[in-house]
Amino acid sequence: MSPLPQVLLDGLFAGGAYALMAAGMALILGVVKVINLSHGAFFTLGAYVAYALSARGIGSPALAAPLAAAIAFAFGVFLGKSFVNPVRSHPFALPVGTLACALLFEQAAQLVWGPHPLVVDGGVPWVGPLGVAVRRWGVTAFLGSAALLGGLKILLSCRSGLPLKLVAEDEEIAGSVGMDVEAIRYLTFGGACAMAAAAGALLAPAGAITPTMGRVPLVLSLIVVIVAGMDSVGGILLLSVGLGVLGNACAYYLSPQWSYVGLLCGVTVLLSARPAGIVAMAGRQD
Amino acid sequence: MSARPHRIPQSPGSLIVLAALFLYPVSPSLTHAAGPSGDIVRVGVLAPLSGPYAAGGTSFVQAATLAAEQANAEGGVLGRRVAVVVADTQGRVDVAKSEALRLISREKVAAIVGAYLSEETVGVMEVASAHRTVLIVPVAATAEITDRVRDEGDRYRYVFRIGYSIPQWAELVAAFLADRSVRRYAFVGAGIRWNRELGENLERIAAQAGIVPAYTAYYSPGNPAFDPVAVGVAGSEPDLVVLGDPGRSSVSFLKRLREVAPGLPAFSIGGALGDARLAAAIPLSGPVYVQAAAWRGASPAATEYVERYERRYGAPPVGYSDTLPYDAVTVLVAAWRKAGSLDAAAVASALEKGAFQGVSGTYRFDAAHQARWGTGDLRGTVVRWERDGARIVFPPR
Repeated sequence: MSPLPQVLLDGLFAGGAYALMAAGMALILGVVKVINLSHGAFFTLGAYVAYALSARGIGSPALAAPLAAAIAFAFGVFLGKSFVNPVRSHPFALPVGTLACALLFEQAAQLVWGPHPLVVDGGVPWVGPLGVAVRRWGVTAFLGSAALLGGLKILLSCRSGLPLKLVAEDEEIAGSVGMDVEAIRYLTFGGACAMAAAAGALLAPAGAITPTMGRVPLVLSLIVVIVAGMDSVGGILLLSVGLGVLGNACAYYLSPQWSYVGLLCGVTVLLSARPAGIVAMAGRQD
Repeated sequence: MSARPHRIPQSPGSLIVLAALFLYPVSPSLTHAAGPSGDIVRVGVLAPLSGPYAAGGTSFVQAATLAAEQANAEGGVLGRRVAVVVADTQGRVDVAKSEALRLISREKVAAIVGAYLSEETVGVMEVASAHRTVLIVPVAATAEITDRVRDEGDRYRYVFRIGYSIPQWAELVAAFLADRSVRRYAFVGAGIRWNRELGENLERIAAQAGIVPAYTAYYSPGNPAFDPVAVGVAGSEPDLVVLGDPGRSSVSFLKRLREVAPGLPAFSIGGALGDARLAAAIPLSGPVYVQAAAWRGASPAATEYVERYERRYGAPPVGYSDTLPYDAVTVLVAAWRKAGSLDAAAVASALEKGAFQGVSGTYRFDAAHQARWGTGDLRGTVVRWERDGARIVFPPR
């Protein structure tokens, strides 16, 4: 059997995982306009919630995701209100502060759950045509990212999403028409943290759960959002899938270490051609 | 662009967060079993307690502490109690070197046990040698450590390695592969220096027994790409896959591998997959073997150690990043007793000439100050995970 279908399918799933992680990051960058380096910590929190439920006999990540999202939303709102909003006007304070928050969370997770890897059973994969293994977590990641990004797109295109769009476009105008900009910012921050935690819960069966597991997803989600631009949720999904397939193909046909190199080369080429993001150039030149 | 005045955050929440952030880095080193400074002998323990290697580092410190407690229960050293002074290297060479210097100059340790990573340990060697302090290396495996001792014996006279060197490690793995009648193996590791060294040494040593690699891959820690590696392993149809990474990635990779090659035997060189807490969730659709320096049932000393560790910490040791540091402190204490002094030259001389009993076996050092693994009763062991625990399968009994 040719390995190509398996490599492509796994690339699709890896892309789904990237998109899942990038969805919340896009919201924070677009509306709150800060780089949140604690995003990976919320991803980790979600994975630990999935583990905690799994240890109590509730093994479904789909059930863990809402609980993880609720917990992360509460933390995110607190962080957004007490720290992000007050210091966001300082350009360097926010990344440093949120990075410190991430490190604090890693230490706290290590105290609570220990430094040792934990695992959530992912179940036996389905066997598809040509003997291709269909990884359950991959299906979850892809469908989850499609649902999250689809929901975000619907929200931004309907009336209830107007405050988000207006704050993203011009905070002063939003404030002048009576919107509580501060509240929209910290609620958005909380919502994005909830999305990261949901992603962590859904992807928990994919690998080992450790306090530092959020670091790689943080970097990958930043890459996806910066390259895709924050304006297009469809662009995020498409780019994620493209990078997932490119990374997997490089890893299989060249060398595993080329997956990261190939991914970063692709990103560099895209950013050279479209510094504002691939979607921004297609529709908007401002 | 709006010009908002810069202001200091004033809400109580922000002050709490900021206070926590500022207080966080102020983490003093931990001293276990400390007493009046005149009554104690201090052992510096260098290990990563934060960051990606914290799991191994925590086991490291727990085992070293247990060994010090055991030494004190046996009367201490030269009438004094043994205290462990712990320093967090964070898995970084610069931090490991500065912490080694602090342990020597400020904490006045009599010897250092550590560090964890090969790169850290090579850096710490310089500090310890410059200050004529005994350094016992438990787990760092790169050949560079003992090569330096062999090539510059005077300079590195106080450096000794308890753990297996990479060539010795490769020999232990090759012996197991031969025992299992493996003809073709796949080697998967992290794209870091010592993993590549291990893969190359294994290829060279295994070839002598007619065992050849069917597939070799080193993944990037930045984007491990486990799925295509798992597909590559399955496609090469080896008799067994060697997992060269002792960290958490071996767990993630094994899960992915089981999805495309459920029955393929997997052999871990030790570390995370030796953790019994993971065993219940490790996919056992195919055999999972784990190498360890010692394991419950390997010898009475090993069983006693495992039971003591389990009572103290609530989980059994993984047999590598904990067992070797335990033996490092045990051997150091025995050398102090044998030398009748804490003087570095006397201790080094005792280590060079003596034989020292640890839970893994009897340690003797060669001219490069490398413990002679693969000789006598110092041979390590391999276990196979079953649903109800691990069973020793190598060496054959």
